[in-house]
Amino acid sequence: MRMRWLTLGAIASGVMAIGLGGSARAADPGLTKDSIKIGVFGPMTGPAAAFGHAQLGIRAVYEDLNEHGGINGRKLEVVLEDTACDPAKGIAAAKKLIAQDQVFLLHGGSCSNVVMALKPDVIASGVPYVVATAANAAITDPVAPNVFQTVATTATMGRTMVDFAMTKPGAKRIAVISHSDEWGKSGHDPALVELKTKFNLTPVADVTFERGSINATPQVLQIKGANPDFIVAFLYPAEFAIFVRDAFKYGLTVPTMGSQAISIEDTAQQVGNPAIMKNVYVFYPLAAQIGEAKLARWVDIFKKYNPGVRVETNGLLGLGGAEAVIEALRRAGPDLTRAKFIAALDNMHSFDSGVLAAPLEFSPTHHAGMNGGATITYVGDKLVLIHKFTDVQK
Amino acid sequence: MFGQLVVSGIGQGSIYALVALGMTILFRVTTVVNFGHGELFMFSAFVIYLLLNAFNVPYALAALAAIVVLFALGSAVERLLMRPLQGAPHMALAMMTVALSYLLRGVVRMAWGGDVRSVPPMFDFEPVMLGNVVLAAQDIVTIGATLLLVAVFFVLLQRSRLGKLAQAATDSARGAALIGLNVPAFHRTMWGVAAAVAAIAGILVAPVTLLYPDMGAGVLVRAFAAMTLGGFGNLGGAVAGGLLMGVLEQLAGGYVSTAMVDIASYIVIIVVLLCRPAGLFGRVERVRV
Repeated sequence: MRMRWLTLGAIASGVMAIGLGGSARAADPGLTKDSIKIGVFGPMTGPAAAFGHAQLGIRAVYEDLNEHGGINGRKLEVVLEDTACDPAKGIAAAKKLIAQDQVFLLHGGSCSNVVMALKPDVIASGVPYVVATAANAAITDPVAPNVFQTVATTATMGRTMVDFAMTKPGAKRIAVISHSDEWGKSGHDPALVELKTKFNLTPVADVTFERGSINATPQVLQIKGANPDFIVAFLYPAEFAIFVRDAFKYGLTVPTMGSQAISIEDTAQQVGNPAIMKNVYVFYPLAAQIGEAKLARWVDIFKKYNPGVRVETNGLLGLGGAEAVIEALRRAGPDLTRAKFIAALDNMHSFDSGVLAAPLEFSPTHHAGMNGGATITYVGDKLVLIHKFTDVQK
Repeated sequence: MFGQLVVSGIGQGSIYALVALGMTILFRVTTVVNFGHGELFMFSAFVIYLLLNAFNVPYALAALAAIVVLFALGSAVERLLMRPLQGAPHMALAMMTVALSYLLRGVVRMAWGGDVRSVPPMFDFEPVMLGNVVLAAQDIVTIGATLLLVAVFFVLLQRSRLGKLAQAATDSARGAALIGLNVPAFHRTMWGVAAAVAAIAGILVAPVTLLYPDMGAGVLVRAFAAMTLGGFGNLGGAVAGGLLMGVLEQLAGGYVSTAMVDIASYIVIIVVLLCRPAGLFGRVERVRV
């Protein structure tokens, strides 16, 4: 049933793109002969406002494109809405952008709960929607014809973390620690499937550590008793710092990998002991570290259009999606339609955004574009990016 | 593992005991259950963070300042928020403290966002090894401070004139006023004292727990469980309840399931209320009519 729906969706978008060409496309909302209106939204205020930096980055890339002549003769007109990471506000923002502002496409959403809440309305509208940085795998699984993800989903992250753990020579005993909430499970479950299907292993310890907990002694002792080679942790920043600190305290000095929710620099500062960080690895979504030449162009763009805002991972994370949008608009050509734009994304393969750690890969049946990532760790007092455990000798 | 879980539980339980102690002091004197006590504890941690990072104040001075600030804040809460509700139903007083908790959380979130922050450990001693059991320096200090504070307040409230005044003000505010006690000022002072105890908890706990606006909520639930277990209004009971809660959580997490850590406190509250509503050390109140 699901396949039939997907196939019908793909055929429909193909027919719309190829069969109905030409003048009818001018009717698509948000499109004039010299502009494309894009609805950008995210948590610009409230407790999760730091995630809104992704939207600032996306807007900066579009403004930079305009300064360099636009795309196929058109400038991008950005309408920015605030969701405050609140599902109700997110739904209102999406409805406003679709119905009132009549945007050509949507590009936004950094809180998975908000994106999951507004997704049904967006799917029903048919407006192309490129998710900014929300990572819940359920956003694009099952696939909706008009919804695309451009960061590693929690499922991708879980699989990649297990793959990295297994690059440690002789690794056989993997322990997993996670929150029991939806976010924790969305990384934990695919990680266990990867461990079973790819390596025929089950975790030697599989423990939970709840949000807000301030002591990880039982978890650490259980894991230590299982004598693991590697620990994969799906924890939020505070709990991750508490766990690695307590693990060190009780002599559990096994390599431990955190998710992309973790900033390794912040963790180092929170635990306050460089010796603890010797065994800490973190999933890293960008192609290079922020100070490196490879990201200089995007860092400069971000700074230019957002003076005074600190450039950090989150601010650059949405830029891969912005580059994919620009590429899809370019490929769709001057005779632009929503269907052509969706078809261009559906046919985007191995697209190197230059910003993200892995290329973007879409198809009509696969809309979670980023299928891998890098790992960041400390070697001495320097951070290095690696792809295999053996890339560095600590 | 058993020994480590018990020792870790005592360290953890000391934190709950400290928070429960502040709430018990206030409850004993004013009969108000302060649902904002966890946020007072959180707020003091952020005061220290501010002083350490923005003003480079030495740790000891920052800690002292946090106690003073929280005393003033507690007194102000009584004067501005609680006293106008004098004579109102207990529910109104409780709701005011709930509002206070969200207000403080919001203020901190506005100032620092939701990010996780840290303060350095107060004491940089090596952990003490008892065989294979690790006892962190911070835990030793927290346990010591808890025992010291409960001893001080036990003497003050059980063996001194202050205790008799507190009892008088609680039993009959009008009667206490008639014998010359300035009941409003007394309540204001005790709100300040309870907040200062929250500050001491914040000072000791901040290096262990990391700082974020919601850090007080989880500890508050455990503190309630500790008070329920030990007996509401009983100082020694609050501390014993806190320590028992800490050990119980750790043992449940270590031997049953790590998921039990989070629900142990709720189970304790339910079981104690059903089986022994007065708690382990509380007395059933009988009123002669």
